[in-house]
Amino acid sequence: MLTAAIIIVVVALLIFVFIYNGLIAKKNRVKSVFSTVDVLLKKRYDLLPQLVATVKAYMQHERGVLAEITEMRAKAVSQKLSNDEQVELDGKVTRMLGGILVAAENYPDLKANQNFLQLQRAMNEIEEQISAARRAYNAAVTDYNNAVEMFPTNLAARLMRYRIKKFFEISPQQREAVDAGKLLQS
Amino acid sequence: MKTLKDFEEFYNTSLAADLEVLEQKRRQLVRKLLIIGAALLCAVIVVIFLVGRSQSETRVLFLFPIVAAVALVAAAALAVASKNYVAEFKSFVIGKIVRFVDEDLIYEPNSCVRQSTFVLSKIFTTEPNRYKGDDLVHGKVGATRIMFSEVNAERVTGSGRNRHRYTIFRGLFFVGDFNKNFAGQTIVIPDTAELLFGRIGQTLQSLNVFRGQLVKLEDPEFEKDFVVYGSDQIEARYILSTSLMQRMVEFRKKAQRDVYFSFVGSMVFVAISYKRGLFEPRIFRTALDFEPIREHFEDLQLAVGIVDDLNLNTRIWSKE
Repeated sequence: MLTAAIIIVVVALLIFVFIYNGLIAKKNRVKSVFSTVDVLLKKRYDLLPQLVATVKAYMQHERGVLAEITEMRAKAVSQKLSNDEQVELDGKVTRMLGGILVAAENYPDLKANQNFLQLQRAMNEIEEQISAARRAYNAAVTDYNNAVEMFPTNLAARLMRYRIKKFFEISPQQREAVDAGKLLQS
Repeated sequence: MKTLKDFEEFYNTSLAADLEVLEQKRRQLVRKLLIIGAALLCAVIVVIFLVGRSQSETRVLFLFPIVAAVALVAAAALAVASKNYVAEFKSFVIGKIVRFVDEDLIYEPNSCVRQSTFVLSKIFTTEPNRYKGDDLVHGKVGATRIMFSEVNAERVTGSGRNRHRYTIFRGLFFVGDFNKNFAGQTIVIPDTAELLFGRIGQTLQSLNVFRGQLVKLEDPEFEKDFVVYGSDQIEARYILSTSLMQRMVEFRKKAQRDVYFSFVGSMVFVAISYKRGLFEPRIFRTALDFEPIREHFEDLQLAVGIVDDLNLNTRIWSKE
């Protein structure tokens, strides 16, 4: 009788350890992927001054947008932003950049410029990588949220006070198709 | 991209004449085969007859090796004759079809993708110890260099009674230049476990340590068809963009067979499983049928079409 009870207790403890470690692993995964997203975002912010400099001479009409981009970059680089603020800023910058690259189609001189072409490739690549990182982040968060909400791991999660995390979402206003016309006028 | 209609026209104008010539040669070959076959049968009958009649054991012993020798010579002659026919067929018919599909492609009937390349793809975890193939095609399609061939990779274990032959892969193996730079490996294979076991299947898959990390992607159709293992979660998603995933699902629907992909060393590998042999002529049926020739064209088209189907010529990132 006693041995049976001991075995049950030991097995229960082992299961709990397993679940506990699993939750911690998932939480850390979310953190580590976010830090990679961070690194990629910084890489993009580093490319922005180059883009603005190359494009400024040609794109007279987009001066306003370019100034905004420079401003946003300064904000991102200088201040310490919370994760949510980072996400929001990222959304804004993506939208502005999209607008610039669309507007560039109207400037054949710019399109012939070797510097711009190389930059465009580099920007495409970094955008694609950021997109991949966002997706990986959302996958890590889904995994973590599943563990926090599903039985039986949710019991341990409640004990550890783990809450569900937010996804890298695009807010409704950013989801509007990039209105190149509007952007060009600003 | 050449359509079937274009091919029909090509068949009528260019191929039909060659096929007539080949048909004559095929008939001769079949005649030879039948004669040799009949001769062999007679020899065997004679042997049986003599064995039945003779009392002396030594006479029988003489006969068997002679018959065996005759049989061997006959078999060798047949093999050489068939080989010549097959070589002519490949060089005239398949070669022409390859050049029709794309002028810049080079066809080498007796070469195949190297075993080292096959192993490099990491699609199959078992190393083959019997590897052969033929019908190598290589060249550049747009901005993408490609190479593909028929491959038959097996693993033979044990000896004598315990000899076991396991087919690792049989079909078309394709290697191409991918349009993005990356450092690690990502493997995409047909998802059998998810089909059978659902979530438990996913857990089992994640435990498959030989393959690297399990990568769970967002496209539900893609996840139903394939399971992805990768060395890096973010790189796997960088390679497998939402549009590429859709294209891979479409390609599998188009091929209608098991398709395996992998991305290693900035190259993409595609393995399409076939149960039948590819690009081989039919010896015992007429060479003038359009059907088998059309099949050869479609097999080639499927392989070369991978470049367009996976959008490999879109080079807007850092790799040119």
